[in-house]
Amino acid sequence: MALELKNTSLKELAKLYDYISMCTHCGNCKYGYEWGKTANFAAMLCVQGDKYHFDSYRGSRGKSAIAKGLLSNKLQWSDAVSHVLFTCTGCGACQQMCETDIKPYILRMFEALRYEAWKQNVAIPEGIKKWSSTIGVNHNPYLEKHENRLDWLPSSIRSSLPKKAEYIYFAGCTASYRQKNVALATVKLLQKLKVDFTVSEDEWCCASPLLRTGQYDLAKEFVEHNKSLPDKYGASGFITTCAGCYRTLSRDYKMDPPEGYTDKFGKMEGVKVIHTIQLIEEMLNKGEIEFTGSFNNTVTYHDPCHLGRHAEVYEAPRNVLKAIPGVNLVEMYRNRKFSYCCGAGGGVRGGFADYSLETSAKRVREAESTGASVLTSTCPFCWRNLTDAIEMTKSPLKMVDIVEILEPIVKRK
Amino acid sequence: MARGNKEILAKLEQIVGQEYVSNEEANLIPYSWDLTWAEPRMPDYVVMPKTVTEIQRILRLANHQKIPVIPYVNATNIGGLCVPEEGGIIMDLKRMDQIIKIDPETCYAVIEPGVSHAQLSAALKATNPQWEGVEFSKGFEFGWGVHPASASVLAMAINHGIGHLNGRLGINSQLLSSMEVVLPTAEVVKIGSCAYSDSWHSFLPLPRMDGLFTGWMGTTGIVTKLGLWIFPIRPYRDVLTIAAASAKDITKYMVHWRHYSLCDEVTAVSWWLAQIPITFPYKDKPKDAPEFFSYTVISGWTEEELEYKRKMWKKVVQEEKARGTQLIDFEYPEEAKRGRTELPSRIVGSTKNYSKSCGGGLAWPGTFAPCKSWPILYEKWKEIYIRHGLSPATRFTDYQGAHYGMLRCMTPFDKRKPESVKAARDAMVECVRAGIPLGMLPYKPPVEYMNELNAAADAGYVYLMTKIKDMLDPNNIMNPGKLGVR
Repeated sequence: MALELKNTSLKELAKLYDYISMCTHCGNCKYGYEWGKTANFAAMLCVQGDKYHFDSYRGSRGKSAIAKGLLSNKLQWSDAVSHVLFTCTGCGACQQMCETDIKPYILRMFEALRYEAWKQNVAIPEGIKKWSSTIGVNHNPYLEKHENRLDWLPSSIRSSLPKKAEYIYFAGCTASYRQKNVALATVKLLQKLKVDFTVSEDEWCCASPLLRTGQYDLAKEFVEHNKSLPDKYGASGFITTCAGCYRTLSRDYKMDPPEGYTDKFGKMEGVKVIHTIQLIEEMLNKGEIEFTGSFNNTVTYHDPCHLGRHAEVYEAPRNVLKAIPGVNLVEMYRNRKFSYCCGAGGGVRGGFADYSLETSAKRVREAESTGASVLTSTCPFCWRNLTDAIEMTKSPLKMVDIVEILEPIVKRK
Repeated sequence: MARGNKEILAKLEQIVGQEYVSNEEANLIPYSWDLTWAEPRMPDYVVMPKTVTEIQRILRLANHQKIPVIPYVNATNIGGLCVPEEGGIIMDLKRMDQIIKIDPETCYAVIEPGVSHAQLSAALKATNPQWEGVEFSKGFEFGWGVHPASASVLAMAINHGIGHLNGRLGINSQLLSSMEVVLPTAEVVKIGSCAYSDSWHSFLPLPRMDGLFTGWMGTTGIVTKLGLWIFPIRPYRDVLTIAAASAKDITKYMVHWRHYSLCDEVTAVSWWLAQIPITFPYKDKPKDAPEFFSYTVISGWTEEELEYKRKMWKKVVQEEKARGTQLIDFEYPEEAKRGRTELPSRIVGSTKNYSKSCGGGLAWPGTFAPCKSWPILYEKWKEIYIRHGLSPATRFTDYQGAHYGMLRCMTPFDKRKPESVKAARDAMVECVRAGIPLGMLPYKPPVEYMNELNAAADAGYVYLMTKIKDMLDPNNIMNPGKLGVR
């Protein structure tokens, strides 16, 4: 049985054909597992497979079977194909588990499949279509007006920010329009720590929602716009509090395929991209931060997929939490590279709200099982989805971003 | 695009609920092929039952409608066993994923078909051998083979899969103790001690009716619960390695070493299988490289016990060298050693070692063969493989003493190219044909191997196999086409 490349009209997918062919169909991707002298871990990590069960939805094997089927003309496009493609959160758990040479290309394959789906006569989730139809004008996926983007920033702070600075704080769409608490806590924190930063008057969506849903053509303008910001502000880097923005700016803008999209948008060179949590850890290590209070709570940390598996930042948030007086950090069973997605990513929150919330409720229950009173993370998008699940399930957990924990109790030494 | 018909779909939905049935090609295509060269064949439905009752109802429907039913969990059997030869219903059993019992005193576990190796190994590691509350040691294990963590323990065991304890205990189907089966005609039967009480500890001294469901590749019923023996983890382990100039030399060493029954496993791999990944297409072995590399895993309750086994192993090696067996000292790489002492491993169990970059295909002539035939067959297979442009990535593994062992040849091939697929299939079928007269029997055999087996078989054997199949499955709904006789 051969799976020959026959459908070359699927240009983006066909480019990946050789890599897709490396999937042996072994199924290593379908389950999280580690065993050894110190480890004993086994758990389902694929949120999509957890919900929709069939092998098509489970791990990358099903999606690579669909890709192979489409490329070899053994499968035709249909709404069912689209459903499989768009219900994946792109959490990267399958990529984490894969051991064959398709591994680095798995997420790119998912996005290329979605790119091709937009060109077919198949059902794209209405929620995704809706924000996609206005993002070109609004520069955000929340259907909000661009001119209101900085409404989260009090005028007193806004007027105090320099015109030129070492860093641009890239708040991102979710913190700008929804989780304003996270954006505000971040600027207050950065000011307290005397970080040389400013906020752009003209930040656009980082393009993460576009790239993750396969809308490469729309994304181009966004990437080019944001890449021009550092020059405008004399900045040498971006600080983000959003894991999605961090992944996009640090990977998609800067790295060659398969990690990034420099093949499509060119490379953002000479610009540092740092997540707030990395900056804090760096300053703690240098002894530049003094705690003026404590946070007396048992806390569990949720790894955002875009900061964790996508960017391999696992220890910085934990090191920061451990440094905070009063914090008792406890881990969920599924953590770090074996974390479980909050269910929001990959366009799923916008496209399939109920499934997204059901997934985050599973994560909330896991957080509860640790005995923690506080669930924390480093992503406003995770914050939103987990908070919705906490409210829906009437969980006793309180959701806070790490910057919200830090802001009231630190000062610069 | 949808397949099948709406009435049957509706009936399946009534049985398991709408979300657990699909006839959409998007959901069917991952079930239409596996790692091997088996020709892709689409099922018409996939259904995911949760209970025995649901399985019974599906089988009644299938009998009534004469629709094939293919039991399925992960399809990593490397034999095309779950590729539906005649379409029909894929019965994906992943939702039946309960570890029903782990008895740490009588040392057995009872599992459902969807229990993965990852799941069972984690649960066993967390359970301590004990008697009346007194714990003796830490953790249990089963025979962990070379497969992904997501693979089904039950499916692997009832299809004669190997495990890492097969040198000490035999293959995994020798470690089964009781089972519950739904017959093709939908009756539920229990076999072994569980037929009389809630104790799932043994098939013996009853008639071995479990033989009607082991090695039949899902053609005689659906095993819904399986009792299996579990074994305390020995805290001390080591891997000892030696290489040899030829298949004959390595076989002499292996037969001598396993004579003492001191190892958990003794395996040898040809130079081509020792490469990671296996060289594809074929390339010559460097002239000065050994033809075979062998590892043996020893374990013990104390360092002293381990040291005794090391001493005995050295004695065997010295004696073999003294009598002219060409053995060559070599050290196992650390990662490989870890892979062998910390099983199951998702690294060892993945396919990266075999077909990392060559186009996704992986198959084997996987066989049980008398050890006497290993060197003869290796030379034959080598000639066949090289003629087809493939690396003879061969493995010998001893199974519990002197009786028999595994002979197989892991074969990567390029699924992008029809000629590569054909070359792999032709080579492997030729190997099977060459091996059967020398006592070699393929396990988890693809249809092509079954045809070779049936052609060479004693007529009475085929008659009985057919009669049993007809008796149990009068409408031939269970995985039809796989036995080569129905």
